[in-house]
Amino acid sequence: MPRDLLSVRDLTTRFFTQEGQVNAVEKVSFDVEEGEVLGIVGESGSGKSVTALSLVDLVEDPGRIVDGEINYRNSELAESASENAPDAVDGDFVDVRKLPERHRRALRGPDFATIFQDPASSLNPSLPVGEQIAEAVEVQRRASANPRSTRSRTQSYGLGKFLLGTALPGQGYLTEESKARAIELLELVGIPDPAERAEALPHEYSGGMLQRAMIAQALAGEPELLIADEPTTALDVTIQAQILDILGDIQEETGMTILLITHNLGVIARMCDRVGVMYAGEIVERGSLEDVFDNPVHPYTQGLLGSIPDLESAGGRLQPIEGNVPSLLDQEMEDRCYFADRCPNAMEECLEKPPEFPGPGSPDHAAKCYLADHPYEPEQALPEDYFDDESSDTTVGRDDGKDDASGEGVSADD
Amino acid sequence: MTESLLEVRDLEKHFYERDTLVDRALGGEPVSIQAVDGVSFDVREGETLGLVGESGCGKSTCGETLLRLQDPTGGTVRFDGEDVLDLSGDDLRSFRRNAQVVFQDPFSSLDPRMTVGATVRQPLDVHSVGTKAERTERVRELLERVGLSSDQYDRYPHEFSGGQRQRIGIARALALEPDFIVLDEPTSALDVSVQAQILNLLSDLQDEFDLTYLLISHDLSVIRHISDRVAVMYLGELVEVGPVADIFESPKHPYTQALLESVPRASTDERDREIETLSGDVPSPRNPPSGCRFRTRCPSVIPPEDVTIDQREYRQIMDVRERIESREVDLDSAWEYVADEQPSSGGSSLRSLLGDDVREDPFRERHAEAFVDRLEERMLDVELSGSHAQTVRSALHELCYEDWERAASILAEEYESVCEVVSPALQDDRTHPVACHLYDQPDSVTANVADADVSAPVGDTVRTDGAESD
Repeated sequence: MPRDLLSVRDLTTRFFTQEGQVNAVEKVSFDVEEGEVLGIVGESGSGKSVTALSLVDLVEDPGRIVDGEINYRNSELAESASENAPDAVDGDFVDVRKLPERHRRALRGPDFATIFQDPASSLNPSLPVGEQIAEAVEVQRRASANPRSTRSRTQSYGLGKFLLGTALPGQGYLTEESKARAIELLELVGIPDPAERAEALPHEYSGGMLQRAMIAQALAGEPELLIADEPTTALDVTIQAQILDILGDIQEETGMTILLITHNLGVIARMCDRVGVMYAGEIVERGSLEDVFDNPVHPYTQGLLGSIPDLESAGGRLQPIEGNVPSLLDQEMEDRCYFADRCPNAMEECLEKPPEFPGPGSPDHAAKCYLADHPYEPEQALPEDYFDDESSDTTVGRDDGKDDASGEGVSADD
Repeated sequence: MTESLLEVRDLEKHFYERDTLVDRALGGEPVSIQAVDGVSFDVREGETLGLVGESGCGKSTCGETLLRLQDPTGGTVRFDGEDVLDLSGDDLRSFRRNAQVVFQDPFSSLDPRMTVGATVRQPLDVHSVGTKAERTERVRELLERVGLSSDQYDRYPHEFSGGQRQRIGIARALALEPDFIVLDEPTSALDVSVQAQILNLLSDLQDEFDLTYLLISHDLSVIRHISDRVAVMYLGELVEVGPVADIFESPKHPYTQALLESVPRASTDERDREIETLSGDVPSPRNPPSGCRFRTRCPSVIPPEDVTIDQREYRQIMDVRERIESREVDLDSAWEYVADEQPSSGGSSLRSLLGDDVREDPFRERHAEAFVDRLEERMLDVELSGSHAQTVRSALHELCYEDWERAASILAEEYESVCEVVSPALQDDRTHPVACHLYDQPDSVTANVADADVSAPVGDTVRTDGAESD
């Protein structure tokens, strides 16, 4: 029985914008088992990227994690934290949110590493790629020499640093070992002739190569958990296939745990063991790949699967989900199932927020939908025009809300 | 067979870089970017032709050029029998009424300061259709038809979501009752659930108004879903054209095969599907490969007739050749490595070790073997067998003396492929033509093969219909 590496409970992240409070992530709970690939799938604005950012504490103003626990199993960390932050520790688990900021930052790299969607904007355009990876290696090396302290591990690129580097070459931050390791990492992610490519600047790399370099950089810290946020969205399919291949191989070799966030159901199917489906800031259905793809309970999951044109057969008409993604502005969200206004099977009880019910599949299978509990009752159905007034009144606000959320870091899908 | 509404022949659009007056005055040669390079296809009345390819392959430029949104640098486009590129004045205006376009980005393709009504009405105004009241009425009808509400006439684009904006773009394209619409990535900015709504809308409109579509997309499942025929584009050229079922069920061109294989399927057996991923990146259109443009990544590039070699080894040798020809091998770092391995030479700089006269240099002479070993280790991922390893080593040996040309010619002599010498062309008069030397090629191409004196025959390696050797 695999153990959980990460156990997230009731994670809630909100953005406090001028238009009002945006509930980007609402009471999200999930477990990541050691060595698995867990997928989170959802459309733009569903809160999947903010969930990822919340885990590594990179949510930017005006966003804040307002509630929840992020329990991370690491006995070493638990031991050292038991001295200065005893309430964060529960057995081998440490609630990362309760750690002091300094320690939380030290987790990025050796414990949690992230790959983002757009590799071109994630690397410094004026430094050779190899150097940037070597830097990550160096940070990790110094961190293990002096654990849980961040002071000696960060460096700046000011004028002083530049002058010092010019006057005293060899006194730089990087060592030969870290540079050599960077080249090994580039080789690991399949960059041809890594020694040479390490000297090149990011603009000399193609998109696929840059994403490989990003993966190499993330691997530098030998992280326990790799968070891949839309790692292939900006790439062409043939390159996407290469990158997925590499991620899969590395995962198999090192047994690394991956949290894969994407809007692409095909990528999920290719990579993941278990899946969570997000809608309007909540995980509405979760379970094994088979549960979610072959036996979905939630009408949103069903709708999502019905919307994809099939590559294998010409097929007939698509079965899209009607309507649009709802506003996440607090004042416009009612306390009901957020999908009820688009749901073909909405019932009266859906006006009350559904709890999570176990699904018919594996023990992991669960859905936030009354249909998981009991079958559809036509006599309970909501009248078809039930939400109509409301939606025409708020069209303006709805779209504003959505734009806001994406402006604040809910990545808008390409 | 229905008639062709649009006939594109040898369409060509080259862009030029470094082509300003200053550059000319300084004597610089302009660099051409061959975005679209000799593309020919027909779009038949009432059908949807899907144009698919990866980013940068020229598919959007192709769409824009044939609508004369950009001026082509060569070729002809005939629309309904008339030569589009010769049109001017009223004829051009009437062509523009008949051929419309829907763009990819619903955020930048609508004027943020115009109401939705005014945006959709603008084509009617420009072409002075009817009275003002009639136009307004028509716009209201159009908005309803594309699934918006007519009381949204006075709203501004920012009040709409991406999917709704794309509906506005479609309404605008429909306003003048065109026969033909170019759909340039109409759904790629949208989420899947909204994409499905738009695709359904497009099919309904096609049935209702007898529209002919050219659908440009990188998304193979979208292409499969709504196209009748498909054209596959790679680096400015068409590699394969055919009915949708043929392209998807029995793709012929190695690129099409690889493209289809690369798409992850949204089903639970996806994890167990073995795929052979395509190596490398798309080359730059500034300097496209000679011959077949796909040969630098092709998993079935054709070796010369007199060479027996495993395909993986051949692919590897071709990659090495490519790098030697473009001089993309860092010799200094290999020498540095060799020098570091020598205990005696510790500390002295590389330049002082290497003499100026490359041919008469004792250090190079002494360490040539180690140098070649190092290059081999760095450049080869596949172990080469017997004589092939020998040939490659002798080429790498020339690099000791920085003789790039000798190194390149040693390999070229032995391994020159028909794929790099002669450009394949789309076969004539077939429903499913393909541009690849693995298949029968038109006479003009086989003649070139004979002229070029490459030893690879076209007929022998054919693995398809009616093999006919030259």
